[in-house]
Amino acid sequence: MTKTKSIILLRISIAYLAMLVLGLSILYRVFHLQTVEGAYWRSLSDSLTTRYVTIDADRGNIYASDGKLLATSLPVFEIRMDFKAEGLTEDVFKRDIRNLSEALSGLFGNKTAYEYYTELSVARKNKERYHLIKSNVSYVELQQLKQFPIFKLGRNTGGLIVLQHNKRVYPYDYLAKRTIGYVRDNNIQPVGIEAFENALLKGIPGKQLMQKAGNGIWLPLNDEQEVEPIHGKDVYTTLDVGLQDLAEHALMKSLLKHNAHHGCVIVMEVSTGKIKAIANMGMIKDSVYRELMNYAVGEALEPGSTFKLASMLALFEDGYIKPEQIVDVELGRKVFFNQVMKDAEEHGFREISVRSLFAHSSNVGVSKLVYQYYSKNPDKYLAHLRRLNLDQLTGIEIPGEKKPRIKTTKDTDWSKVSLPWMSVGYEINMTPLRLLTLYNAVANNGKMMKPYLIESVREYNNIIQKNEPVVVNPQIASEQTIKQLKQIMEAVVIEGTAKNLYNPYYSVAGKTGTAQIANNAGGYNNKIYQSSFMGYFPADNPLYSVAVVINNPRNGVYYGSAVAGPVFKEIADNVYASNLNINTKPVVTNNKSILKLCSGSKQDIETLYREFGMAVPASVNSNWITPVISDSSIQIKEMAHKDGSVPNVVGMGLRDALYLLESKGYQVRFTGYGYVKSQSLKQAVNNETNHLIELTLGI
Amino acid sequence: MLSINQLLTKTKGDRVIWITVILLTLISSLAVYSSTGSLAFKYQGGNTEYYLLKHLSIFLVGIGIMYLAHLVNYKYYSRVAQLLLIISIPLLAFTLFFGVDINNAKRWLTIPIINLSFQTSDLAKLALIMYMARVLSKKQETIKDFKTGFLPAVIPPLIICVLIAPSNLSTASILFATCILLMFIGRVKLKYIFSMIGAGILALALIIIIALFTPFHARVLTWQSRIDNFMNDDKGSYQVQQAKIAIANGGIIGSGPGNSKQRNFLPTPYADFIYAIIIEEYGLVGAFIIVALYLLFLQRCIKIFIKSPGAFGAFLAIGLSFALVFQALINMAVAVNLLPVTGVTLPLISMGGTSIWFTSISIGIILSVSRYVEQEDQKQHVQTA
Repeated sequence: MTKTKSIILLRISIAYLAMLVLGLSILYRVFHLQTVEGAYWRSLSDSLTTRYVTIDADRGNIYASDGKLLATSLPVFEIRMDFKAEGLTEDVFKRDIRNLSEALSGLFGNKTAYEYYTELSVARKNKERYHLIKSNVSYVELQQLKQFPIFKLGRNTGGLIVLQHNKRVYPYDYLAKRTIGYVRDNNIQPVGIEAFENALLKGIPGKQLMQKAGNGIWLPLNDEQEVEPIHGKDVYTTLDVGLQDLAEHALMKSLLKHNAHHGCVIVMEVSTGKIKAIANMGMIKDSVYRELMNYAVGEALEPGSTFKLASMLALFEDGYIKPEQIVDVELGRKVFFNQVMKDAEEHGFREISVRSLFAHSSNVGVSKLVYQYYSKNPDKYLAHLRRLNLDQLTGIEIPGEKKPRIKTTKDTDWSKVSLPWMSVGYEINMTPLRLLTLYNAVANNGKMMKPYLIESVREYNNIIQKNEPVVVNPQIASEQTIKQLKQIMEAVVIEGTAKNLYNPYYSVAGKTGTAQIANNAGGYNNKIYQSSFMGYFPADNPLYSVAVVINNPRNGVYYGSAVAGPVFKEIADNVYASNLNINTKPVVTNNKSILKLCSGSKQDIETLYREFGMAVPASVNSNWITPVISDSSIQIKEMAHKDGSVPNVVGMGLRDALYLLESKGYQVRFTGYGYVKSQSLKQAVNNETNHLIELTLGI
Repeated sequence: MLSINQLLTKTKGDRVIWITVILLTLISSLAVYSSTGSLAFKYQGGNTEYYLLKHLSIFLVGIGIMYLAHLVNYKYYSRVAQLLLIISIPLLAFTLFFGVDINNAKRWLTIPIINLSFQTSDLAKLALIMYMARVLSKKQETIKDFKTGFLPAVIPPLIICVLIAPSNLSTASILFATCILLMFIGRVKLKYIFSMIGAGILALALIIIIALFTPFHARVLTWQSRIDNFMNDDKGSYQVQQAKIAIANGGIIGSGPGNSKQRNFLPTPYADFIYAIIIEEYGLVGAFIIVALYLLFLQRCIKIFIKSPGAFGAFLAIGLSFALVFQALINMAVAVNLLPVTGVTLPLISMGGTSIWFTSISIGIILSVSRYVEQEDQKQHVQTA
């Protein structure tokens, strides 16, 4: 070996030694990391690497009885951006940022393109990795957004982060909001069906052991540890969207008119106890009402006169009185142990029949009778109330139902006047729904039904639970008693406090309530009015029972018939108008009056005459005719509408009226149901034809 | 079977080197298969075999290249070195301005027709090491002289490293350090060596300053943050932290093949930090085996040097082997956090495309020298017998 080579070899050995030292340092470092620092690093490992991720189950839907969707869950997306995404280079960002800003502004419209540009530029400068672009983005918007400059490059190159949430959506918005309810996070008390059936609706979330793989990416670790989510069941309610809408509008109208504090309406199907509508409105500020609370089931106040039905049931059932029996109502004023019982409305009656004293809502009459027959043995009266389940919860599928209270003679607050005052609906507490079940039972010929809201629970459209009507009490009283109760309730509308509800087309039975009750806050000095009406229709073959309770009307009018009655009437009228099957009451009005309504197409009117078996009057040569009634005969005239004048459509059906007006070039808007009652324009204005005409319908 | 036997009899060169390379390749395949899980989930719909097969086929081609390279008489490589070096300089300059931009660094060139991307620095590195062997062997007589010995040896590394530095400072630094090491071995005066280390540091500073005022300043920020992380932050950057967890998880014998958890946390675990994953799965034992294999490889190459009659072949084997092992050790030192994050791969183990083939070429060249040495050996044996 040459000398040069051995020098080189020496230097190689030194270099090799250096490598060896480096290698050994590496191994020592490994050893050090594993032993001395080992525990520390391993402790970091577990918390960082794996976690169980909850896989949300899809929440079930809530449907109306006809399958209309009341509550559903839609995916909504949250868009975020990672400005430090691996592949998002400065070149790409600079080139496309303006286009992206414009596209975002165009899509969402919540900020100008310049605002987006500034926001994104700053976020880029700050190297934000999780910058919120927009929350609550719909699926359709997301699809568009994915085509935007930069974003179309995806997660790693475009920095686009999409997070999915499920959002509860109520297609009918405020409709029956409190009854459908909600379940929210952050400790807000869940309410309504959403809360009641939460366990079924929410399903069972799945679990998946995930392992983190770099930037916000979680990968499933292995299949065995996965628990599949079980999606929520669908709940079908008994609610009828049409009736619910009707009930809410009628209630709202009355609340606004009377500046009332709150109110509720319940519509129940007589034969089954199905709740078809349940409306609750409370004032949040002047003239603005919302479904704040489910008053119908959550507020148990003194019912007032509507409770008299229970007292009459007891008296009839025990055979103490008969409807035609004459009672001295003492001009509406009677003293019980220094306490004065007064009738709500002044009347000059002394001796009237039981039927009339009920019809006129005489507190004196009812309390006097109850006191007369039960003061020796109040428990006998109270036993009647208990037999009617009036001290029990109804069991409606809404959380937070208030339990009614009926005093017993052993209670410390039982006094000598308790019995007479209870008999007219004071000193007891009861929800409107509780009392309505009694009215419903009377309407249902004595069969008391359990009210219910949930018809069935389905999974993938297969019924897995079906609720059948439940009979609480097959016969709450003898047939005779029921008949008598029906009779006196019909009298309320025919001769009594609710004469304003009378109409010739179908019959109504019910009872008004005008109560002065202690305010919710409790002060006895602070008494408020509560106007109510409970009843059913049509009286001779009841379809629906309805409760209307309006609390604290403050515009001077507070009688049950004036405040709550019209709500009942509007619901009944509309049901009647849109549901001809229930029109079982024979039309007793004379022929002239019905035909008076029928201006319209000649062909239709002639068909009507033939259907009613009447002679078709001598006709005129015109397509549009008006029957003119004189005392003894009906004559047909050509409907006068010269060019330039607006056709008179009053008395026509909507179809004919629309046809006639729109064929003349008018725009037509209408409100209400039934026949045209009035039209907003009778004379043409300056020969303009493209004019708006408003029609008001009614029956 | 016959063809394999024929192939084996035709395969010459140091058997230990061959076996070492094959062993490293096998370990690499296991580690890459294990660590590409998240990549497979992201891009291949969970098809984890995709990357294994891709990696294996690259290796098969690599071993083919190695085989072909070792059949060539190493003396031809002297000329090739000169040629490659001349080609590399414009290619590097071209890449610097027109290369493919990944993470703000332009390192890649795509060969137009066959559509193959490669890092020009890989080519330049190979060319430079070969050229150093040529210069050092040719100038041994005058190596102590500044003008005729030192300057011809120091100018090419300077040019190449300055061209690589803006886009890949760590590769440039390591390459320059390797060249200094080779010059040390090649009997360059220690005085020059030390002044060159000084000059290197100076150049480094200069490059950073220049880069700050040119379009390359984004890279400076990366360097800065990496060094900052290493110097200031006890817990280290995310990458380093995850690597440490992996190493700590490994223990003495590791958690077993395919059982790494940290592969899902470590960014690109199949590349720069694959050593940490190997330790997690095979423990301190695995860590030792890897280091030992590289040192064994280096030792075998020194043996070639001792036996090599020609100066060029001897320097070729030493130069290429030191370059490879030095890079490997640097990579491992980074993985265990002895050095700041550099971004150099673990040769023969990290997943990669063309860079594996450049490594294959250099091993092929070493084996070519080894083959020649063996032949000389046999001749001597024949003569003495």
